[in-house]
Amino acid sequence: MKTHKIIEKARKEGRSFLTENEAKELLAGRGIPVVSCRVARDEDETVSLARECGFPVVLKVNSPKIVHKSDRGGVFLNLKEEQSVREAFRKIIKNYQDVDPEATVTVQSMLGKGVEVLIGTIADRQFGPVVAFGLGGIFTEVLKDIVFRMAPISPEEAGKMVRQIKGSRLLQGYRGNPAVDTLSLQNIIMRVSRLAFEIADIAEMDLNPVAAFPHGAQVLDARIKLR
Amino acid sequence: MTKEDMEIMRRFFDPRSVAVVGATDSPDRVGYNLLDSLVNGGFKGNIYPVHPKLKEILGIRVYPSCIDIPDQVDLVLIALNQRDTIDVVEHCGKLGIKGAVSVAGGFRETGDEGRALEKRLVEISKKYGIKVVGPNTLGMMNLEVNLNASFYPISLKKGNVSLISQSGGMGFSIIQKCSDEGLGINKFVGVGNRTVLEFSDYLEFLAEDPGTKVIGVFLEGVDDARRLVQIAGEVACKKPVVMYKVGHSDAVNEATLTHTGSVAGPYQLFRDIFKQFGVLLADSVPELVAACKALSLCRLPAGGQVGIYTYTAGPSIAALDRLADREISIPGLAPETGRKIKAILGEDLPVILRNPIDSGGLGIQPETYGLLVEAALEDPGFDILATFSCPHKNWRNPTKELIAAHKKSSKPLLTCYISTVKGVEADREALQQAGIPLYISPDETAWGVAALVHYGQKGSALSENA
Repeated sequence: MKTHKIIEKARKEGRSFLTENEAKELLAGRGIPVVSCRVARDEDETVSLARECGFPVVLKVNSPKIVHKSDRGGVFLNLKEEQSVREAFRKIIKNYQDVDPEATVTVQSMLGKGVEVLIGTIADRQFGPVVAFGLGGIFTEVLKDIVFRMAPISPEEAGKMVRQIKGSRLLQGYRGNPAVDTLSLQNIIMRVSRLAFEIADIAEMDLNPVAAFPHGAQVLDARIKLR
Repeated sequence: MTKEDMEIMRRFFDPRSVAVVGATDSPDRVGYNLLDSLVNGGFKGNIYPVHPKLKEILGIRVYPSCIDIPDQVDLVLIALNQRDTIDVVEHCGKLGIKGAVSVAGGFRETGDEGRALEKRLVEISKKYGIKVVGPNTLGMMNLEVNLNASFYPISLKKGNVSLISQSGGMGFSIIQKCSDEGLGINKFVGVGNRTVLEFSDYLEFLAEDPGTKVIGVFLEGVDDARRLVQIAGEVACKKPVVMYKVGHSDAVNEATLTHTGSVAGPYQLFRDIFKQFGVLLADSVPELVAACKALSLCRLPAGGQVGIYTYTAGPSIAALDRLADREISIPGLAPETGRKIKAILGEDLPVILRNPIDSGGLGIQPETYGLLVEAALEDPGFDILATFSCPHKNWRNPTKELIAAHKKSSKPLLTCYISTVKGVEADREALQQAGIPLYISPDETAWGVAALVHYGQKGSALSENA
């Protein structure tokens, strides 16, 4: 029910992308662990939300007109105190003034270092809903280390995906880094595949990055495109 | 597919009588060659050429129209242009004929008019319950009843492999390779434009067909890959399906704004998803045929542990590379096998005892070769064995010994004689008769092994069918 309400709202506003906080709300409603973010409209609200979150925090640009947030300085990580939050807020607003003068920011907690992965879906012309899993960043985009399955899939099949990628060893722990919680990843992949299969309104999803830790995994950023 | 549809397909693959509409007396025309294929293929049922004026072709009486044929026709082959084809299918539908093959081109591939004709064909098929192979196909065959309903009058070996091809040319390439490999074919169908009967219909039919043990598929592309992979996956739980898909260019959707969309290449999707559903994929005609051959002749292995015996290292290393491509690694040698090998070759061996077992020059002699193969087959760690040798003008091949060793074991045995297709014809016949596939290259041998391992690991349901 909640899923449809979020989608309806975006449709009414003529948008084909959900904002980050909408996307995360939708995912959380399906039992997918997300680092929730809150929208702040001005500098002071940003600071007070940052205090509520607890430092360090992450600030990201928030606008229905912006899909790729990091392209021109819309993401500031690891802000440790009030002054750097204020500076980051001003930079974001300045960087995006010409794209969207009404752009605001989101505030979320900065998590410790995990292994970053990508979980996504597409609505393929031939196969219908398809779920993807890969290591994030250059692993996916340059090395094409990503695997696909027709949705929906079982947790066992999701486990095969996790083991199938070439960089699978990075998840099992290497050079002193601990192994990450692949069961949590499997669980997210399975839930995302069901979401893509059950909700025909969703065309594409990017849960990117998803941070995997020795215990648990969480969606740090999410993008959902409607049909 | 409904039971009725299945029955209709069974009937037109095994017809009592076949009509050829558009039969002519000119050998350069398709209509003549459809008739020639039927006659020279040795079809035992009744054959009725249809032509408005001619009286006799190839010594067979010609009828002016299907309505004049004094018999129940089970299958009509239509060698007319696309517009006349539609009229004839409708006419045949009214006469109660349930099966047709249409070779005509000029349908959807030419644009709107062709698409409209196909739509009409679907309507006619629904209205009269007539099933159509094609259009735009070279035809179909059922060698079990000597039916060659294609316009290529060729003679082929009868066997248990059935083939479904989206392309006439590639279908032909596969058939010819099967002939080279001494591999018998059961049924062949060129699906053409798949207007009425789809890939999945043929797959479902062949899954239930008692004459078919293995299904080979050549695929260019389909509109509903979701349904195809689901059906292919279901069928692959009953019988081995080997699929060769062309069109590997990874042209992605440039318009997408998500990372996932921008890296989702069509062939990678195809490969990952067909694997997800347990269907074996081949990357070439030789691989498709090598896989079908092993699955046709061998029983399925109890596990995926591969043993290799050779007296020349190179081919076994090449085969190992191919196996590694398919994520198959090989186990070590059991100590008792090492003791047996020493008992055969002597204590002071110039080679290291491991898997692949490489006997060097000591194992060329057929009697020794046979003993070593027997020892390898008895290794408790091996589920399947591949052996290599290089035929020589003055040395006898170990054919007799391989057959004898195979008889004593329940494990699948494949062998490679490095040679030409013609050079090992007699050995091939003898070995394959005994259930040992003979290949002439290490790559094909490895592909055969990989196919057996793939389906061997799919579980007991398939083994019971095989």
